[in-house]
This record gives sequence, C-alpha cells and structure tokens, in this order.
Amino acid sequence: MFGEKALELVKELKRSGDGSLPPYNEDCVRQVLDEMKALFEQNQKDVSATVAGEGGRIAGVQLRHASLERNKRCLLAYVYNRMEKIRDMRWDFGSVLPDDVKNNLNEHELSWFGRYNRSLAKYMRSVGIDLTQDSKPPKSLYIEVRCLVDYGEFETEDGNVVLLKKNSQHLLHRADCEHLIRQGILEHII
Amino acid sequence: MAENKERGSLSDILNDSVDSEINEDEGEEVTAAEVLERLEQAWLNEKFAPELLESKVELVECMLDQIKEMEENLKEAGKGDLVGSLHRLEIQRIRYVISSYLKIRLKKIEKYAFHIMEPSNDKTDYISRLSAEEHVYAKEYCKNVEDLLKSLALDDMPPNINSLDKKKSVPQPNLDSYLFMKVLQPQEQVELDPDDQPTDLEEGAQHLVRYSVISSLLENGAVALT
Amino acid sequence: MADDSLYGSLQVRPSGWDYFELDDILACQEKIPCTFETQVKDLGFLDHGSDSEHIEPATKMELPFWLAKELCARQRKIISVELPKVYREAYRQILEADATAVDLNKLGPYFYSVGGKLLEFGNAENPRIAETLMMTYMKRMRRLMDLSLNKLDGSKESQTLLPKLDHDEHNVFAFSQEGLREFEQWKQGVISKLTSSKTVINQRKRKRTEDN
Repeated sequence: MFGEKALELVKELKRSGDGSLPPYNEDCVRQVLDEMKALFEQNQKDVSATVAGEGGRIAGVQLRHASLERNKRCLLAYVYNRMEKIRDMRWDFGSVLPDDVKNNLNEHELSWFGRYNRSLAKYMRSVGIDLTQDSKPPKSLYIEVRCLVDYGEFETEDGNVVLLKKNSQHLLHRADCEHLIRQGILEHII
Repeated sequence: MAENKERGSLSDILNDSVDSEINEDEGEEVTAAEVLERLEQAWLNEKFAPELLESKVELVECMLDQIKEMEENLKEAGKGDLVGSLHRLEIQRIRYVISSYLKIRLKKIEKYAFHIMEPSNDKTDYISRLSAEEHVYAKEYCKNVEDLLKSLALDDMPPNINSLDKKKSVPQPNLDSYLFMKVLQPQEQVELDPDDQPTDLEEGAQHLVRYSVISSLLENGAVALT
Repeated sequence: MADDSLYGSLQVRPSGWDYFELDDILACQEKIPCTFETQVKDLGFLDHGSDSEHIEPATKMELPFWLAKELCARQRKIISVELPKVYREAYRQILEADATAVDLNKLGPYFYSVGGKLLEFGNAENPRIAETLMMTYMKRMRRLMDLSLNKLDGSKESQTLLPKLDHDEHNVFAFSQEGLREFEQWKQGVISKLTSSKTVINQRKRKRTEDN
C-alpha cells in the first residue's frame, strides 16, 4: 500500500516520545518524496490518456491522489513535530543547545532554531521581561541550592562571586539561580 | 490553586508603598491594586480559554511601571531591611503573574500561528487581539515555520500539492472545550446547553460549560474563568 | 431507543484541527473492510491476493481509513465500506454487557477515535455506533476516575487496568495522576521547587552513560 514509508516517519517520532530527538531521517524522507513523484507522474499520464479519450482511469487517479495527500500529511507532520520539540528545547536548555542534541538536527532545523531564538529575544526585549525566568510562583527571596557539577565561579546580581563546586551548598537569590537549576547545574533544596 | 493565594497581602503592600492612584484614559482613577486584580483575572481567563483572548497588555505595562517605582524606592531604602525584603518578594510575585500571562499568550500564538494570521471573514479576527509586539512575533514565527516546511518538504513535492492549506490544514483551537466559569454579573436566559432550557445566571454561581457558549460573556466581563 | 435528536448535536470536527497530530495520523491508518465497485486500472499490485494487472470490481480488500474515506467521497463511489468487526453488533453487545472488562487496547489502541471517524461514512448503524461508544466511554470512565484520582501509580488494580485502556483513556488517566501528584507535592510544600525539565535530565543521563 502507498504511504508506508511515510507512516514509518510518524511512528519513529511517536516512539521517541519525551526522549531525545532522533537524527533527521534523510533516507526515509527521500523515499517518501520519490514515491510522491512517481504517483504524480503516473497520474499525469492517466489524465492525458483520459483527455485523449481513454476511459476507466479516474478511479486510479483518485486513489493515487489520496496517497499523495497522505504522504504530504505524514511528511509535514514529521517536520512540524520535530520543529515543536526543537522549539521547546529553547525553553529547556536555553539559547545554546548541548552538542549531542545539536548533532541530531539538520542544518535547516538548526537555522530555524537560531531564528526562533532571535525572534524570542526581540520580543522579550520589547516587553521588558525575560520570560524564561520566573517559571514557578516565588515563595521566598533566597533559596538553598546544592551544586551538582563543578561549574566554577559565578557572579550574583549584587556583585558577589560564589564558587560553585560539586556538592557545595549555597543560599542564593532566587533570580540568580533559576537558569542554572533549569540546566541541571544546581539543585533546589527545599 | 497556588496562584490564587495571598492576593490580599499583595494589594495591601501596593496600596501602602506607592502613589497608588493611576489615571486611565477615560479619566477614571484606578488603584494599583485594582489593576493587579484585573491583570490576575485576565491571566486566569487566558490560562483556561482555548483560544487567544483580547490583549490586556496595557495592564501589564501599568504593573511594570509600578514595579519600577517600587524598585527605585527600595534602592533608596537599602539592603537588609525586612520590609524591603517583603516588597522585593512581592515584586517577584507580580513579575511571575506578568511573565506567566505573556507566556501563555505566546504559547497560544505559536500553537495557532497560521490560524491567527490567516485573514478570513468567517472566524474571529485574532490579529486585532495581538499587541504590537505579539503581532511582529507572530509574523516572524509563521514565516520561520513555513520556510522550514518548504525547505524540508514542500519545495520537493509535486507542483499541484506543494503548498500548505492555511485555512484547512492547520491547528485550530477547540472552541467547544469544557471549562469552569463563575458569574460576575447576573444574566437572564442564557442557554448553557442545547439540550436544556435557557437559565438565568446568578452572580457568584459556578458552572461547567462549553467555551463557545460563554465566549461573548467572557469578552464583556460578565463571567470569569476559574 | 436511539433518539435522533440525541445525535443531532453530534458534529464532525473539521479535520484541519488535527492535521499535524501524530496520533490522528496513526488512527487514520486503521483498516476498513472495503469492496471495489469499479475497476481500477494498473493498481492490481495493491491486491496481494491476486495476480491481475488491475483491481477488478467486487474485489474485497482492507484499506486504511484515510484511503477508504477518499474513495467514498465522490459521487461515483469507487468502493463501498463495511464496519470493522469490533464496531459491529456482536461486539457492541459485548461492550454493553460489561464495558469495563473489555481490553480496548487490543481492539485497536485508537478505539474511540476510529469509532468517531467511522461515523463519517453515513452508515445506517451510525446512531447505534455512537450510542455504544458513548455508553462504553461513560461506564469505563467512572472506574478510571476512581482509580486515577485516589492512588498514585503502584496500585494493583491500576496495573491490571492500564494495559487494557484505549489511547484516549490512557491520556485521561495520566492527566489525572499528574494532577494528583501535584496535589501531593503542594501538600508537602514542594510544589514551588524549581526543577530541571525532563528533557534536560534525560540528556544529562545519556551524556553520563556515554562518557563512562
């Protein structure tokens, strides 16, 4: 049946669920586009034949057209859903993606991410608020954190310098730490 | 919900700490506490409504100005001051509400970008609901997404189907979603459910209804989402 | 018993809403038993049971829903469709007898979704199908809400129930468990704990195993 390769792309994305984005499946995408090309060309032949007086070809044309639309839908959904995951990464990882994540994106997806980043930064500047901060209602000004990795020196908003060594604990301004907690460098201790 | 806690103390501090009279365009005087209350309701409405609502960005701008004033006052007060710390915390709380409100709107704009930006006579004019900055963002987002779909897929497809149908093949909000609402201003004879008789809505009553049924009441402030 | 006005408010949602949705795409792959009414030239290879060059009239084949829908949509119907067996009277009666015991995951993980799509074929049995879908959903939902709102994960009853849920029921279950989890966290005062996102945690885990 037509559309089987296209369905594989959809299944591949569905399988990866909340986990990491798999590398862009260039091969499978190419095969889907090839099938679409073949379906289209066969339809063109049938349409010409019909115009020339041959009957009985409409059913085939409609079947192939439905398959073309199906392939299109699956392929667009593949690109679109990957894109949404990449977009969400801006909110999870920050404006710089870790290398192993970047490696699974193709060049168009990477440049999409760059443009998304710039557009978001422009918006946040224009409204005067960093939306990637303040993700939970604040309960206190200072929070206790434990450092999970050797991060090095960190300068707080009031100019103090803190040494973030693995397993060290600190009492810091909430606003200072939120980014580092999101990135998994600090752990919020309640 | 956690977000509803301590609205009272926020209002108190606002009333104490700054010049709390603000003149609106119509010459009506509103306190900062009232603006915050309106902003919080706008935030809840936006959170629960399936579609993008009218922008209340003027409330946001007003609160941001208030915050700036409060921060100036705090600088003069110096650090280590207990009352100052409380004020700083309240500033963070207001920031949270503003940030959450704008983020919820941004997520909706991203999710329904094509539907929002596509001009059409038989649906809501969402463009009029965007702030100037959101409009710029939405345009850029749409272009960015469309460019990606084109360069990775559409451009390589056969000519008769190589474009995205922005009227039919794009995500649209489900206006029939059910949600909780409470009545702010009593209404007469509203049909909450096509299978039931129209009923009068009493002030303070809460109902579980389809969004489409109350969307216009929400727009004119007769009901609020909870 | 099946009152027409009850289904008068049934509306088929415009399919554009779910165009990019992976689950909807997968649900549309469900097989529908079809009979070809006309000949289809050159596509005989799609019929695995025959060597012929063309698909001949009266050929019976299972086609995916997305195709069956299109081939029915013209005035000159190319195919006629039948209901898949799990939506026919025999199965409807099983569901009516004991909805909560049925393994809907086995009957097709997108049982409700596909059932709703079947209504688009305008079959004479539509009111009955719609009624069965709603009754089944309501009966099972009661049990589902009971289990998902009262105990987090681990409960033995949940473990036996979960594998038999249809895809939509799974989502409802997960959603209400999430709500319950957040409530527990709020009670313990940890709801405002700042955390890394799942994506970041997973990526660090992967990195650590790679580096070792």
